[in-house]
Formats: sequence, C-alpha cells, structure tokens
Amino acid sequence: MAENVSSLMLDGNAAAGLLQEIFVPEITTAQVECGGCGHTAPIGSLQLYGSGMGAVLRCSHCDGLVMRAARTAHGRWLEMKGARCLRFSGDMAADRQC
Amino acid sequence: MDETPISRGFRSRRQEQAPNNRVPPGQYVTTDFPVLSAGPTPQTKLQSWNFALQLGASLLGRWNWAEFEALPQSTAKKDIHCVTKWSKLDTTWQGVTFDAILKSVGLAESPAPYIMAHCDGGYTTNIPVADLIGGKGMIATRYEGLPIPPSHGGPARLLVPHLYFWKSAKWVRRIRFMEQDQRGFWESLGYHNYGDPWKEQRYDGD
Amino acid sequence: MMATEAAAGPVRRLNWQLAHVRDIVVETYRVKSVVLDVTDWQGHLPGHHVDIRLTAEDKYQAQRSYSIASPPEDELLKLTVERVNDGEVSPYLVDDLRLGDEFELRGPIGGYFVWTVATQGPLWLIAAGSGIAPLMAMLRHRAKRKVRSPALLLYSSRSLEDVIYRDELDAMARADPDLRIDHALTRKQPNGWNGHRGRIDRALLAEACFPPEQAPNTFICGPTPFVEHVADLLVELGHEPFRIKTERFGPSGG
Repeated sequence: MAENVSSLMLDGNAAAGLLQEIFVPEITTAQVECGGCGHTAPIGSLQLYGSGMGAVLRCSHCDGLVMRAARTAHGRWLEMKGARCLRFSGDMAADRQC
Repeated sequence: MDETPISRGFRSRRQEQAPNNRVPPGQYVTTDFPVLSAGPTPQTKLQSWNFALQLGASLLGRWNWAEFEALPQSTAKKDIHCVTKWSKLDTTWQGVTFDAILKSVGLAESPAPYIMAHCDGGYTTNIPVADLIGGKGMIATRYEGLPIPPSHGGPARLLVPHLYFWKSAKWVRRIRFMEQDQRGFWESLGYHNYGDPWKEQRYDGD
Repeated sequence: MMATEAAAGPVRRLNWQLAHVRDIVVETYRVKSVVLDVTDWQGHLPGHHVDIRLTAEDKYQAQRSYSIASPPEDELLKLTVERVNDGEVSPYLVDDLRLGDEFELRGPIGGYFVWTVATQGPLWLIAAGSGIAPLMAMLRHRAKRKVRSPALLLYSSRSLEDVIYRDELDAMARADPDLRIDHALTRKQPNGWNGHRGRIDRALLAEACFPPEQAPNTFICGPTPFVEHVADLLVELGHEPFRIKTERFGPSGG
C-alpha cells in the first residue's frame, strides 16, 4: 500500500519550533531527567514522535514518555509527567556552544 | 491581526473537496495512507498476542490470536478522516465487530457506558460504547485483504471510522469498560474528547 | 553587536517573519539553494534551522523545517532544498519559486545541533544527501573565521552529480590543510574514482577518521536510516554517545 511514513522518529531538536512557543530560554539544550529510568540528556537528543499531532518526546534509553506538547486552535498544551526535572544551564556561553 | 501572507503559486497537493456527504469540513482527500505514531512501532508476534475485555478487576474475556480469528468476521468499506486533515475514501477492513465481541462473552449489552482502549506502546483513547455498537466499531485485523502491517497498527487495531482516526487506536490489546469517562492520550493533551469530524471537533473547546 | 553574539543572547519569542527571495542557486539537478532576505533577522549559529510556512490562496497551510546552510557571517540566509518527488513543499520551492516571492519564516531554532569555532576539539561531520546543509553552515563559518583545528567531512551521495556544493567543498579542502573531505558515492562512481565506493560503513569510520580518544565533536545529518546506522557504528567503535549529535531528516531526506 502506498505509505507515507511520516512517523519515523526524529530528534527532539526538530520539535524546537513548537517547544520554543512555550519556553523562553533555549529548550533543546536544557537537560531533562527521565522520570522512568533516570537517564539525563538534552531535550534536543530525545526521540521525537507524533508528527502532525504534536511533539511526543521519549527517552533514548528506555523509550519512556518524557514530555508531550501540542498546539491546538485554543492554545498550547504541555505535559511533563514523565520528566523528573528540567535544567536550563545558567551559563549563557555554554548554552551558545552546546 | 495581519492577514497571513499568501505564497504565490503554492497549492496543496491534495484536493480540497467542497463539503459533501463524503468529506467532512476542512479535510483533503489523499490516496496515500500516512502513518503517524506516538512511539516506536511495536512488533508483537502473533504467538504472544492476546486481546482482553476488562471490567474493573475482572476479565470478561481473553482471546489469543487463533481464538480471536475464530470469532465471527465482518468486512467494512469505510472512509477515514485524520485530524491532521487528510481523508482516505473507500478503505476496506476485516475484523470482529464490537457487537460480536460482546456477544461472544455472553453480554446482551455493554456493562458500562465508556471504554478506554489500551495498546502496545502505551497509547490510549476513550470512546463511548454507543459509538462502538450497532456495527460502528470493530477490532480490525486485515486491511485491503492483507494482514495489517505493524506501521498501520497490526496485528490488530480499533476501527471507529465515524470519529477522527486517532480514536482508531493502533496495536490495541485491551478494552477496559469505564463507568465514568476518562481522557486518553491525545484527549488529555488538548484534543477533543469525542472527535466528530462532521462537526470538526478537532480540539478541546471546538 | 556581531550576528553570532546577538544569536547567543536570551532567546526571543519566536515570531513569524517575512522572507523575501533574493536569489535562487542551482546546486544539482534536483537541489537548489534559496537565498533569503529576512527583514528582522537577529542572526543565527551554524547548525540552526528555521520553520517556513506556505499559505495557498484557499488558506491551506503547510509548514516545514529547513536547516540554514549559510554561516552567521553572511548577510542573507541560505536554505538548501532537495526536491522530494511526492513532496508538497519541496517541489514548490525547487520548481516554482521565483525571485521576489515571499513566505513566512521563523527562527533560528534548535541550538542543540549547533557548532561554532569557539568549541574546543576536532570537528567531525557526516552527511548524506541534503543532510549536508547544516554541516555546510558549520564549514562555511569555519572557513570565514580561518580557524585551524582539525575537521573532517564524510559525505555520502548517490553519484558525483548528486554531490551538493561540490566545487565549493573542493575549494575549501584545497585551501585548508586542516580540513579533509572524503566522499562516498553509493550508486555510481566515475572512472578513476579514488574515493569510497558504496555506503559509509564501519571500516570507513574506523580507518582514517578521528579515534575516540580525540573526542571529536560529531554531527550526523541526513535521512533517518543513514543517521541511525552511522551513529550506531560510531558508538560500537567506542565514541561517546553524548558527543554525537544527530539530525534525522525523516525517511525522505527533507
């Protein structure tokens, strides 16, 4: 069957457009700790799914759901149940150089 | 608010249909079958697949693949409508209707008004039972006469074509009856709780 | 304030801006670079991407992301687009777009996949097809800043005719003894071809490349299967996963 495989995983960095509508500081370099397995990684390196409906970001270690976001006609939604915490580097120089 | 600038010469590949009795408002007909997913494609082997009907702590029924295939089969030719605006007409499916499943566990009617579909990979979606009975919903195992490929939800997926296609949950493994409605995966992230394409119920608040 | 410093400041709210087409450059038989003037552009870093949004007469909208191929030192923004046969947006950009056209654009986005000359350590770039675009921004930036740290580009293309920026890459490599560029041609090679034949494989990555001990800053970009394959091989070879940054383009390469 003709298949338009838009569901292949992308990198979290590709969700930057949607996420930057919600977060003020650079979000792709923020470190997130997976609530499931404890693995900590930059959001830009998470596994991104959900194309077209929203951003579904999964841990690259355990596939656990870390965060989800969607832009709807009535606003933006963000859920971070699967994240223990998010850390934005205070060092702007480090942020710039990633 | 400023008028959105038009990109000279740009056209959608898909043809917008004037609203008619086949294509809901805002939809574009496609001949592709786009794949959307919220996670990695589960690769459940038929030998380990089973499907369960659950009410509270009780299991009302459970079928392995052979048992499920032995249930009365139905085919259906339906139009499907994705909230991301593509519609695909005349898709053919085969599987077991929700009515047949209820009947096979000896239920004349549903024990509760709502269900939550639970799927491999963790996806969920909630549907009123009234939208599944009377032939409105099935657990599908074939698409266009062939086993549904994993990327499209195989071995088995829910098929509820009169609602937006995110309700036709892929990789369905368990249907849990609920007394109270609860929101599933997309319904809890801003999408409409019911999802009628003919009323353009895409998002919560529509 | 220099463009790079402005881009490094606190992220401003992302707004849709208007981009005006100032030039269109033919790169290969199915790849073009679109040169844009974006009125309020605040600058970017090599590796950043933008979202573009096209609106048809009937208000139908399509949105896509493209890597910025130009370095921050350039006045105008350059996006490199490959025509995807059944695509909705790329055929428009490659075949229909004209000088003077305009569309909406927002960015820069995606600071995770960014490299500048201020980063210490060797630079290892691995690309397939149009995945070269963000890595080209890095190389052009490196060339403009005349930095002399070791850099290596492994670039996989179907044939010589498919190599994007071929002449510019050759010139860069000739001008810079610290930059090495290796081409892998996967389907068709010209007579007398001395480069790699076939896909980038474990052997190629192991030999004549940065060993793990040198801790190269590694960027891989291209179609998803390519990126995953190469990243897996690098990790097998002992490279640290956190130093490998990937940008999957999805199945079709953009």
